[in-house]
Parts: sequence; structure tokens; C-alpha cells
Amino acid sequence: MSRHVPVPTDLSEPFWDAARRGGLVVPYCPSCDLRFFVPEPACPGCMAPGWHYAPSAGRGTVYSVTVVHRAPGPGFDTPFALAVIDLDDGGTLLSHVDAGDPDAVDIGMRVRVDFRPLTDEITLPCFVPER
Amino acid sequence: MNGRQPVVVGVHATEQALTLPDRDAMDLALEAVRGAIADAGLTPADVDGAQVDWPGPGGVPGEGSSWARMLGRDLRWTSDSMLDNAGSRGLLKAAAAISAGYADTVVVGGCKLVSRGAGPVGAGVPLEFADVWGSYVVAQFALVAARHMHEYGTTSRQLAEVAATIRNNGSTNPEAMMYGRGPYTADDVLASRMVATPFHLLDCCIVGEGGAALVVTTAERARDLPHPAVAVLGGGMEYHQAAYANPALYREVGQLGRDASARAYAMAGVGPHDVDVFSLYDPNSFEIIRQLEALGLCGEGEGGPLAASGAIAVGGKHPVNPDGGCLSYAWNGTQQMTLKVVEAVRQLRGTAVHQVEGAELAVVGNAGSGAQHYEMSLLGRAR
Repeated sequence: MSRHVPVPTDLSEPFWDAARRGGLVVPYCPSCDLRFFVPEPACPGCMAPGWHYAPSAGRGTVYSVTVVHRAPGPGFDTPFALAVIDLDDGGTLLSHVDAGDPDAVDIGMRVRVDFRPLTDEITLPCFVPER
Repeated sequence: MNGRQPVVVGVHATEQALTLPDRDAMDLALEAVRGAIADAGLTPADVDGAQVDWPGPGGVPGEGSSWARMLGRDLRWTSDSMLDNAGSRGLLKAAAAISAGYADTVVVGGCKLVSRGAGPVGAGVPLEFADVWGSYVVAQFALVAARHMHEYGTTSRQLAEVAATIRNNGSTNPEAMMYGRGPYTADDVLASRMVATPFHLLDCCIVGEGGAALVVTTAERARDLPHPAVAVLGGGMEYHQAAYANPALYREVGQLGRDASARAYAMAGVGPHDVDVFSLYDPNSFEIIRQLEALGLCGEGEGGPLAASGAIAVGGKHPVNPDGGCLSYAWNGTQQMTLKVVEAVRQLRGTAVHQVEGAELAVVGNAGSGAQHYEMSLLGRAR
């Protein structure tokens, strides 16, 4: 069995399209100059409609990490490092950091995005150590 | 005391177990409601408000007005939503209705027959940016705990001391799902298998089934009822964002509950150190450490040493979850929140299994999702 596969919505479709083509994009609100995640019906900073996706360089820092030994369902190779990544250019994402040894992933670690295909439709923006 | 001061006059907890194969949800909800009304010394027709999950069969699942036929009278107040029917949030909404005069006597509660297993966090609702990463309840709380440990040097042993203390309360509580299991030391907790760092198996709460309910009325109505009335002296709620859609970030929610509790203390004219007993959400050991800080018992970052000092034991300065909490007594879905009120009421009546001597003031703290929401009530013996 495989893990739950995201079903893109009107809000998220551009995110998954970009990931499939090897690009990371995050919602950007020009009204208040805010990058945010997850995509919302309106900007969580100023409630303005009309935000758009903007490209991210895909580099960031681990804000927090947990090494998951018991996965919530099938399709995961345990243990894995589940992490919160603060992107340098704005926005905070949940992802995996693949550093070989999950216990080697520390808070403050510098990481860069690394795309991993899950299905034909969905490619996951995972992260790896920057160097 | 103001005659319309809201007071809790009845509580009931059904049996709580890993599974209750011989019970169905309606049967459990009926027992909880009947039990709380009987404990209050009232009859169903005395109740004019129902904030109770309606499981069916019959009617629309969740539609609170279905309870009118069961109670045998037209209702003046109801609620259709699960979290509005449980714990401090349910109690505060009932209290608000009673204070305002929309209703006089409200029953709050319900039950849960939960499916077992970890599963995705959205309780059946897919969460696009959480499920795909294998994120779930334990892991989401772990991300908050890990950051607190990083910033303040909180240790796994301090977490384990919390788990051992609360689990040992449940070990000797005959109503607890884990009755007779233990006692545990911090070393036992640290030796149990890792679930998601920093949480070992024994750092995490149990999962089970059961129901609970409470009856809230006015101080005036409570005068000739059998049990000492327990007054709702204050409360507050905080909601950071929707459950689990985004991970909880320590920098955003680490002190969630501080505003709610400050409002509650101010309403009652008391401070955190006046509280005799705490009935707090304990989905894991760390969440207690976080709440000790947010509730104002110590400064930010000082919760680990305080929790490990013996302060949270039944005989300590700040007793937490003398019933064994979600770690050992019961977790049954949203109604675990109501069980926290039940324990606080029993403590203030002086009838708890592990009684905190002379308890006059209690805090009930409910939370969830990492924690991204907090619902706190302050209860006291009505004089």
C-alpha cells in the first residue's frame, strides 16, 4: 500500500504543477508583501484576495524536527525526519529532510529543496542538507 | 453570589475502555446524559438546554435539537458541533447562555466510539500538506516539544517525569483504563520504544472509548440540589488556526493559553498560584510542561524543571491530573475534554479518587492540534 496522495485543489494546483516541473513556489501577497503557506482563500496577513504564487530559491533552515519511528499509515520508510523548514525567501513548510541518517537532522540545519516523484501527478518538495 | 451565576451541579463519566464492543454511541450518550442529570438531583424535564452530540440512529447525526424528544420537553438552547459539546468550551458556552438568560439548565457532553490506530490527523478529512508527509498527532506535538527543548534545554527525563507522575495517578485509580499498570519510573518511560522524537510510547496518551456529561444551572437553582455547587468563576479561549492544516510552530503557539488564563484569573480575582488542582490536556508529557508556563505558574522555558520537581504530584504545589489524565485514565475523542471537567468538579466536591486536600479552586485546560487551540475554565466551590 502507498501513502495518502494529495489531491490538488483550485488553491494548490499551481504548487503541484511547479513541483512536477522541479520548481518550488509559495503563495505571495503583493498587498502586504507576505509569503505564506499553506495556500488560503485570501492572504492571512491582510485578508486581501488576489495573491499569486512566487518562485522560491528553495533554501532554508530547519526550525524544528521530529524523527518519526511509528508512521501513521503505510507507505513510509521509518524512521524519517519530519521537519518544519523556514525558507530564506519567506514561508514555512512541513517536509522531510533526507540526510541519510534521520537523527543527523538538527534544528538550525541549512537545507535545500530536492524533488522526489511520488506519482505521475505529484512530486514532493523534500529537503536535503545544503552541502 | 449572583443568582444567575453558572454552576456545575451534575457530572457523569461512563466506563472508559480501549474498546466497548457491547456498547453503541447512542447508548453511551444516553447514559452520560441520564447520569449527569441524576447526579444533579434533577429530572430530564428540568433541562432546557442540550449541548450534546447526537449520534443516532434516527435524526441527523450531530443535530442537537434531537435531544428535545429524549428530554421530553422543548429546548431553549442547543448546539450541533462536537467541540461546542465538550470540556471547557462546552461549559463556557452553556455558562454564557445561562448568565444571559437564554436557558436555565444545560446538559453538555456526549461520547465517542473511536476507530483505533494512528491514522491521518484530520479525523477522516484529508489534509493536503500534512498527510503526505506522514504527519500525525504525536508528530505535530513533537515538533513543538523539540523546539522548546532546543531553546530552553528541556530534557527527555523531565518529560518522562511528567509521564510517570500522571501515569502513576492512573495506576491506582480503579476507573482508569490503565488501572493496575505500573507504577512507572522516568527510566521506564525512557526505556519504552520511540514513537516520534522526543516522545517515547509512555510519553503519549492512550486511545479509547467512552462518554461523559455535565449539568450546568444557576446558583439560585442549585440551592436545593444534593451536591455542593461548583461555580464557573472564569474562562477564556484561544484559537491560532485550523487544526493540523499547518504544523504548530513553537514561536507562534508555545505560550497559547496565556491570554485565556490571564482573562480567567482576572474575572475571578485570583492568580495561578491560588489554584489548588489542575485538570489539563495531556496528549503527551510535554504538553503539561508547556501549560505550566502558559498558565503562569512559571516563566517561559522553566516548565521542565518545575514539572520534574515533584510540583505536579497529588501532594505537590501544583497537582496535575490526579485521575491519571489522558495518559492513563482515558482519552475518548472530544469527550476527554469533558472528563477533565468531571475530575475538577469531583476534586472541588471532595469526592475524587485521589483527592487534593482542601481543594477550592481548579483549572480545566483543554487543547488540541499541537496545540493550536486552548479552552480554559476556572472552577471554584460555590459559597
